[in-house]
Amino acid sequence: MATVTLQNARKVGRPSPVLPRLFRLAIVVAMDSLVVWFLLKLAALGYYPFAAAIGIIALFVNVVLLRKETYPIRWMVVGLALMALFVIYPIIFTVWVAFTNYGEGHLITKEQAIDQLSKQTYLPPEGKAYAWTAFKSPEGEYALWLIGEGGNGYLARPGEPLAQPQPGELGVGELDASGIPQEIEGYERLNAFLAAADSNLTQVMFGEEGNTIQVRSPREAAELLPLYVYDRQQDAMIDQQTGLVYINLRGTFTTSSGQSLRPGFMESIGLDNFENFFISPALRGPLVQLVTWNFAFAILSLLLNFSLGLAIAVLFNDPDFPLKKLIRSLLIIPYTVPALITILIWRGMLNPELGVIDRALEGLFGWAPPWFTNAWWAKVAILLVNLWLSYPYFMLICSGALQSIPDELAEAATVDGASSWQRFWRITLPLLLVAVGPLLIASFIFNFNNFNLIYLFNAGGPPMANTPTPAGHTDILISYVYNLAFSGSRGVDYGFASAITIVIFFIVASITLFQFRYTRMWEEVSENV
Amino acid sequence: MKKSLSILLTLLVLLSMVLAACGATEEPAAEPTQPPAEPTAVPATAEPTEVPPTTAPTEPPAPVASLKIWADDTRTPILNALAEDFLTQYNVELVVEDLGRVQDIRTPMITAAPAGEGPDIFIGVHDWLGAMIESGLVTPIDLGAKADEFVPLSLEAFTYTDGQLYGVPYATENLGFFYNTDLVSEPPATWDEVLEIGRDLQVAGTVQYAIAIAGDPGYNSLPMQTAFGGYVFGQDENGAWNPSDIGLNSEGMIEAVTWMKGAVDEGLMPDTTDYETGHQLFETGQIPFLMAGPWALDRIRASGVPYAVTVFPDDGAPFLGVQGFMINAFSENVLLAQTFLTEYVATEEFMQQIYETGLRPSAFKSVLAETADPDLAGMGEAGANAVPMPNIPEMGSVWSAWNNGITLALTGEQTPEESMNDAAQQVSDLILGALAGMVNLPGSYQDQAGCGNQWDPACKATAMEQGDDGLYRLTVQLTAGDYEYKVALDGSWAVNYGSDGALDGPNYTLSLASDSEVTFVYDPESHLVTTETG
Repeated sequence: MATVTLQNARKVGRPSPVLPRLFRLAIVVAMDSLVVWFLLKLAALGYYPFAAAIGIIALFVNVVLLRKETYPIRWMVVGLALMALFVIYPIIFTVWVAFTNYGEGHLITKEQAIDQLSKQTYLPPEGKAYAWTAFKSPEGEYALWLIGEGGNGYLARPGEPLAQPQPGELGVGELDASGIPQEIEGYERLNAFLAAADSNLTQVMFGEEGNTIQVRSPREAAELLPLYVYDRQQDAMIDQQTGLVYINLRGTFTTSSGQSLRPGFMESIGLDNFENFFISPALRGPLVQLVTWNFAFAILSLLLNFSLGLAIAVLFNDPDFPLKKLIRSLLIIPYTVPALITILIWRGMLNPELGVIDRALEGLFGWAPPWFTNAWWAKVAILLVNLWLSYPYFMLICSGALQSIPDELAEAATVDGASSWQRFWRITLPLLLVAVGPLLIASFIFNFNNFNLIYLFNAGGPPMANTPTPAGHTDILISYVYNLAFSGSRGVDYGFASAITIVIFFIVASITLFQFRYTRMWEEVSENV
Repeated sequence: MKKSLSILLTLLVLLSMVLAACGATEEPAAEPTQPPAEPTAVPATAEPTEVPPTTAPTEPPAPVASLKIWADDTRTPILNALAEDFLTQYNVELVVEDLGRVQDIRTPMITAAPAGEGPDIFIGVHDWLGAMIESGLVTPIDLGAKADEFVPLSLEAFTYTDGQLYGVPYATENLGFFYNTDLVSEPPATWDEVLEIGRDLQVAGTVQYAIAIAGDPGYNSLPMQTAFGGYVFGQDENGAWNPSDIGLNSEGMIEAVTWMKGAVDEGLMPDTTDYETGHQLFETGQIPFLMAGPWALDRIRASGVPYAVTVFPDDGAPFLGVQGFMINAFSENVLLAQTFLTEYVATEEFMQQIYETGLRPSAFKSVLAETADPDLAGMGEAGANAVPMPNIPEMGSVWSAWNNGITLALTGEQTPEESMNDAAQQVSDLILGALAGMVNLPGSYQDQAGCGNQWDPACKATAMEQGDDGLYRLTVQLTAGDYEYKVALDGSWAVNYGSDGALDGPNYTLSLASDSEVTFVYDPESHLVTTETG
């Protein structure tokens, strides 16, 4: 009702809004021209998927800003556009990469690989190589002074046969100590850097057709021939020297006897990445153990952190608690220090040789837990550090939620003769869970994928014995696959990593769905109250 | 009506903008071609034969070209200082970009270079070569006669399996053997002596341990491993790395790990191999010996502990890491970059300047010979027999298995034999990848058997299955014709058997007069295949 009247009021109150509309139009035009310029740039560089994504977003923004019906969501349009760009596009990209072999060894596109291979040259057995010096005419034409094996000097011009002039002939001036003419008429002698500064020099063909000489490196020009030619029909590179046919085999040109060409290129490989993860016993490794610990870690972390946070919150809910404000402020401190620093500090404090905690324990009891070398103590240490990191969060949200539970309920229960224990379990906790339930799920998911903690604290150590692939006792799924995807034989394998990410996404998504069922149950509890 | 009019108007304006934008993109393309034409008239000062211009050059000419260099924070200021000199000398501009630490250059290079946004030249470490070359990101360099002026090991490090040089080295880094000069007068000659000295000092109550491994145990205890004959990858007769020869479970390696375990059991070495722990212990005089690299020199100096650096006992050899300049294969100025590296970088003046702030032994012979810093000189001696870190991509599969193997032995979870055998197995499985154990029959028939290609050793449709009798079988329906095939293991061509049952042997041939169902039977003992046509 209120909005309707407001709109009416505006209609009546304001005359036809020409100026604002023009202003809006100007903004749209400015934005569009910027986008178009950006798109052209992107297209020129070959980023078609990205250009398409930007284009669609821009179109959407245009529609929103120009259509009257969609005008109300204009306030969200920036957020939506950014979400599309930074969340949805990466997701699409990840899914796409999961079906390719993108990774070290297969980083570049097929076109780039063919282009690079086509540029490779070889020196035929009868071909000659020379040391070269470049000369350039004011018109920009090049001539090369070549020195062959026997120390003979030759003059090479594009399209003309090789000449062997003496000083004075063909405008060739006096030779210097290294046998290079100091000047050639109509040309300027270039030093090595000036000659190399023209990136086209290597493309110039000197000498007669059929017997051309090309600059190959700063010290060599030779009668080079292209080594590989791409055959579109066979999708293969043909070696011009040996006649070998290199067929495109999953992003690497390979012969039928196994020789392959560098570089490889990005190529779609279908479901191979997923299959490799599930089928291969070598890659699956100690997956059962890891997944068990992963769930145990996430659930135990949640229980411990939540219980401690709740306990403190309940304590401080008592209005008569002494020094409440001060202690509460101190207890929040762990939450305000960046986790990165906290983890490293804990790592130092638990150090068996130098750590404060271990020194103290050893002094008191003559023994300290081997936090980094024993599997069980390492798990305890991880849970401890995580407890330190997260209890203030639960303390904060529980204090807030406790405030919202009406005191009357507790009073009524007291009148009915409930003990304080019963009051907590039957009234406070169920009501509290309604409020913090979704946050618990979020926290569970966060801990399920808590890569930072594991990786920074002990990188998944200590190592597990008798495993087909390297794994640690505190490795969770995400840290294990990180190592797996980034330490394969080819180095970093983004395709494989993306595939595993998608698998983990489905695991987490199904847990979340399952848990949402439970939160709905909690909602029913609150309705009954 | 008004609405559609405004939309029409917008489109018109847009169109004009598009055209304007098109025009704008045209311009920069034309720009770079112009400047080179001009300065050719400017005589280069580098050529002594050229006469300098008589008219006083009041304003500097526009540079003929520019080279973009990605460097780390130590090298950037030096390169920037040299850029001015380079510009006046050769009229070529150097644009140096600081990317932080050396290891921070690798990832941007991998993402930016294929997109055409990389530099012309970048600084890197030689063990990136595997990934960079296999991905087509770097291009070879020919040093010619200048190669003689470099430390041979540093050039070897930048040489790939194809025998080509892919970088111009400027500095080397390796572990050195540090000892506390207050506690130890003469550096020990054998590893057993290290333990003896440590034992005596421990009994006297001066120290806690004899030595500690400071960091990942694989790399950081390599001088112990090599002293007993341990190695990581073997090399073929040409010096190229052989990834199928894994030395993690070699006799020498197991002996070395057993020795290390003995030191741990005796309380002369901690079983944790933490960087911080090892350094703290040495810097506070709690251990007399330490294996550390030049990157730790600053902190050891700052700690005030009296120390000296020397060679390892028993000729133990550390890994050698070599820093150098590499050329981006996607650069548009490859020739200029090569010229820059061979003519300007590979000179004593340049190498001297880059040595002075780097705190690393130089890779240039004449600069190394004049190293005044005793620590760096000691470091250089310790690295004289160093093994260049393998630059093949397979090295990526080694690190964690190697570290885990040693850790499991030191903490007593497994015996050294067990743990190092496991480690070697893990490395070999990681190198072979997901298809380890696959027996395949690549050949010219494969496109009829459900593979997209012929001669594909990784095609899952033609993978053979092992029966209860231990033989592998594959049955396919083929049309009449002549076919060739081979046996390949583990989904790759690395291990393949021909018709004579020998490695890399000749192809099998198969002639079918009519369409038929063929069963191939492979005997893993004899490596021979028999066919049954039905």
